[in-house]
Amino acid sequence: MPSRPGIFLLEGTYLMARSRVKWQGTLAGSIMFAPYLILLVAFGIVPVVMAFATSLGSSRANPAGGLANYLTVVTDFRFMPALINVTVFVLIYVPLMVVVVAIMSLLLDAIRTKWTVSLRAAYIVPASISGAVSIMVWYFMLEPTYSPYRDLLHAVGITQGSQIWAKPNLMVIFVLMAFATGAGNWIIVQYGSLQSIPDDILEAARIDGANGLQIALRIKLPLIQKYLVYMGILTFAAGLQVFVEPYLISSSVYTGLAKDWSLNQLSYAFAFESGDLAAASALSLMLLLVCVVFALVVIFKTDFFEESGVTKK
Amino acid sequence: MKKRFALALPVAAALILGLGACSPGNGGGSAGGDAAGKPEILVWVDATREPAAKTYKAAVEGKVDVKIEVIDPTTLISKIQLFNTTKKGWPDVVFSGAPNDFATWADPANGYAAPLNETVSKEVQDGYGTANDWCKIDGKIYCLKNDLAQNVLWYDTKTFKELGLTVPKTMEEFASTAMKLKGTGYIAGTVANNALFNGFLWPAGCSMADVVDSGTIRIAPGSKECTEVTDLLQPLVDAGVMETQDPFDAGFLKKYPQAGKVAMTVGPSWFGEFVFKPADSWGIPEGRMTAAEMPKWAGQDKAYSGEWGGGVWVASSHAKFPQAAADAVSFLATDDSIQKDAVTYPAYGPALKVWKEKISADKYYAADPIPAMAAQAERISPAVKPVRFNADGAVTSVLSTQVIGGAKLATAVTDFQKNMAQLAEASGYKVVAK
Amino acid sequence: MTTSTPTTELSDVRAGLAPVTARAPKKIRLGALSGRTVVWIFLIGFALLSVIPMIWLILAPSKTSVEITTLHPFAFGSFQGYANAWNNLMAFQDGQVLQWLWNSVWYTALIVLISCVTAILAGYALATAPLPFRRGLLIITLIAMIVPPVALVLPLFLEITAIGLYDSPWAIILTSSFYPFGVFLAYIYFTSSIPKDLYEAARIDGCGEFGTFIRIALPLSKGLMGMLAFFSFTAAWVNFFLPYVFVSSGEVMPLPVGLGVLFSSTPALNPAVGATILPIRQPEIALVGLLVAIPILLVFIASAKFLTRGVLAGAVKS
Repeated sequence: MPSRPGIFLLEGTYLMARSRVKWQGTLAGSIMFAPYLILLVAFGIVPVVMAFATSLGSSRANPAGGLANYLTVVTDFRFMPALINVTVFVLIYVPLMVVVVAIMSLLLDAIRTKWTVSLRAAYIVPASISGAVSIMVWYFMLEPTYSPYRDLLHAVGITQGSQIWAKPNLMVIFVLMAFATGAGNWIIVQYGSLQSIPDDILEAARIDGANGLQIALRIKLPLIQKYLVYMGILTFAAGLQVFVEPYLISSSVYTGLAKDWSLNQLSYAFAFESGDLAAASALSLMLLLVCVVFALVVIFKTDFFEESGVTKK
Repeated sequence: MKKRFALALPVAAALILGLGACSPGNGGGSAGGDAAGKPEILVWVDATREPAAKTYKAAVEGKVDVKIEVIDPTTLISKIQLFNTTKKGWPDVVFSGAPNDFATWADPANGYAAPLNETVSKEVQDGYGTANDWCKIDGKIYCLKNDLAQNVLWYDTKTFKELGLTVPKTMEEFASTAMKLKGTGYIAGTVANNALFNGFLWPAGCSMADVVDSGTIRIAPGSKECTEVTDLLQPLVDAGVMETQDPFDAGFLKKYPQAGKVAMTVGPSWFGEFVFKPADSWGIPEGRMTAAEMPKWAGQDKAYSGEWGGGVWVASSHAKFPQAAADAVSFLATDDSIQKDAVTYPAYGPALKVWKEKISADKYYAADPIPAMAAQAERISPAVKPVRFNADGAVTSVLSTQVIGGAKLATAVTDFQKNMAQLAEASGYKVVAK
Repeated sequence: MTTSTPTTELSDVRAGLAPVTARAPKKIRLGALSGRTVVWIFLIGFALLSVIPMIWLILAPSKTSVEITTLHPFAFGSFQGYANAWNNLMAFQDGQVLQWLWNSVWYTALIVLISCVTAILAGYALATAPLPFRRGLLIITLIAMIVPPVALVLPLFLEITAIGLYDSPWAIILTSSFYPFGVFLAYIYFTSSIPKDLYEAARIDGCGEFGTFIRIALPLSKGLMGMLAFFSFTAAWVNFFLPYVFVSSGEVMPLPVGLGVLFSSTPALNPAVGATILPIRQPEIALVGLLVAIPILLVFIASAKFLTRGVLAGAVKS
């Protein structure tokens, strides 16, 4: 893909032009960078190193320590169910997120009236209901006796809370919760991406006789495709780490209902229920590794950060 | 090995220091033998026990510096685990509403719970009778029971009269009485949530968490004590006279209790005050409910109860003032000034006289439920013992969800036992079936 | 509505008068109209779905716990309901909710301050200064930005306990101030939105690096600061897992963690918690939920307009 129209000075030329003041620049830049660097090292790198050391340390299950801790994790009877849960979760959650967000932002972009501001404001409302609050709100939204949707729920034959809060439904419930919290923000973001498509491109398409749908699918969608991919990967990384919803449901609402449902919950159980910090660290690092691999793929295998100069050839 | 030794030290210190103790239960004021200076005690309670902690604080004003923290009870195990990692921060006294928590803390690998045999007075220990047996592991007392959640048979006197029913004395009679409700719209309670576990399986003696010794647990799927329960109840469920919905499900509330359609139900002692009475819960009107003793299972010597809840007080083995901590535990668990306002049935027998006044005089109950409760308090089945894993979680996540989902009771129970066995193994128990 | 002229000015497009279709207006007009109707139905339907939970949450504290189950979900109880719920809340732990609220306020304020200042400085340095290992630092920042913060909670916990910060407000504040996304935003902004000539001119005029930053870059980055503060605020205010693991005492908890305490220690949502005489039930819990949600909501709505600029596109495109 050719470089997008933009003003970028190549790093090299830029540096050459200022070689005179280079050392001063380096010094001043380093001072400015230092505060963040301290945080980066202290809360980005050190914890990972510590977790790595802990994951190889001795534990009650493996007094000798070492890679056996990783084995403890993957052979635990709760590991496979949690892995399957999380896998299915991201397989539903990520495509749902990408598709709905793409559709909604394209629709929003198609209707360019003063109402879009209000609509966007409405879409972002659910994002303010997250964490502990979202558990409470969803409990009431899904409980057929209290719910604002109760007529709808009754219409499809759901009249008891137990028909909703059952193990087979947990997947759908958690996807809904995560979707509701995340979708609004992303719709705004992708709408923003659409807004910055140059008008002359759209104009040209119109002159060529394309209708709204065609413009959306053939012009706009390809242009925001990479933002959607980026979003997909971020959503994937977040989905892999799902914790708060199943954790709070099983600790506070339906005791044990979604206990050890996700991998992060299992890691938490290792750390804080069994006191096996080694196994907890091992599991945490495995999850982290998957996220880092995906991060590297976005950075080096997509052109998303090309213009930022990171991976520029 | 090393861990055990490291733990033995503070425990030994606690025991030695405790020798010079005076009688607790009188306000815990004296802390003779503890480290010098005015004792400082950090007490962790759930929101419900905060008033009790405040009463204690006021009672020892000037003698002990008491700091009270209300904590999220679901995080107790993890917080203590955390302090074990950081080697500091432990609260001196903890209220735990999950009766299994202390078993984890009594385990030498954790070591948080202090044995109380020497620091709690004989008078208090004896006063409990058998009610504190739950807290004993290998002969050591690791906690004092705060309240009992023993099952009784609750029944609606008005409905019983209208339908001409008599209160069942055995489980066979329970089943036949329940069967008479067929087609009337009335039910004999539900088997969902904790009900099947502590209302039927536990009293029947089904082995689900039968700890043989600290390293071995007996879980026997398919044993007679388990199948007789499912054999007896399955027809009742099939006939629609026992529900499989959660007793707190809003739909259930509307359909049965709030409509006055619960003829009888096995339930813990706290159901009366906190489930039947509140309008936003079962909301059963005044003058209808009362409690009878549990029906007896065939072949058993007594009519046993299980427990649904029942909190305990635990003292820290890391307490700087071990005697003061033990005194606090004694006071909080047994003192009349606390138990008279307690919300749940007191585990400490002598405190019953102050606690029962309010209940016995309450016109809400068709007849005084205290005699039945008191009888069952002595008969909590020893079939289920404290374990070092989250058994309550397994009850709701496996047993209850399967029952609610429409599984056969026998299948649900077997699956539940399998899950318990897995959990037990993961926490270091050897699982045996015999 | 759809007066279509193929020669529409660009400004008209922006003003929302753009035709969806062009050419043969008469024939397509009907189809376009019904198409638009469908689009509107979708948009409004989605908007309704989005706001219903919030409306419910706003109405809930006006009712008593009995009314919540008996009245229509969208019925309004009474204003007295809010007052009652508030009084009941204040009775909990002598008004500890206020302490949680205040904690949330000052933690969030400090987090926003520290994270934005460090991010803007670092982003500027990355964009303009010949830093050693610049590319490496940028890549690490990008990785840290893509990896969700939850992934680091357990490793961070190990560190926090090791350095003795457990149960201290600083455990939350410092760890939450690490803001790689902000650094990236600032970096993109300073490389693309401010012409290089400006920096050069300033340097030729004798401004040092700091002078250039303060006199040239900062005044031009009000939009950037708004964006940085927005994302930092929204993340910090609702953060649950990290503070949940890092603190245990009631007096250092932020509001979302306190809410967790409230509903796991009362039968508001889980009647099986059973025996309690606390007056904390659904209306009180909903009121705390509102306290958490409303500030975020207000900030969202106030920023809906500026967010149009698009975080990704606005930042990446010049």
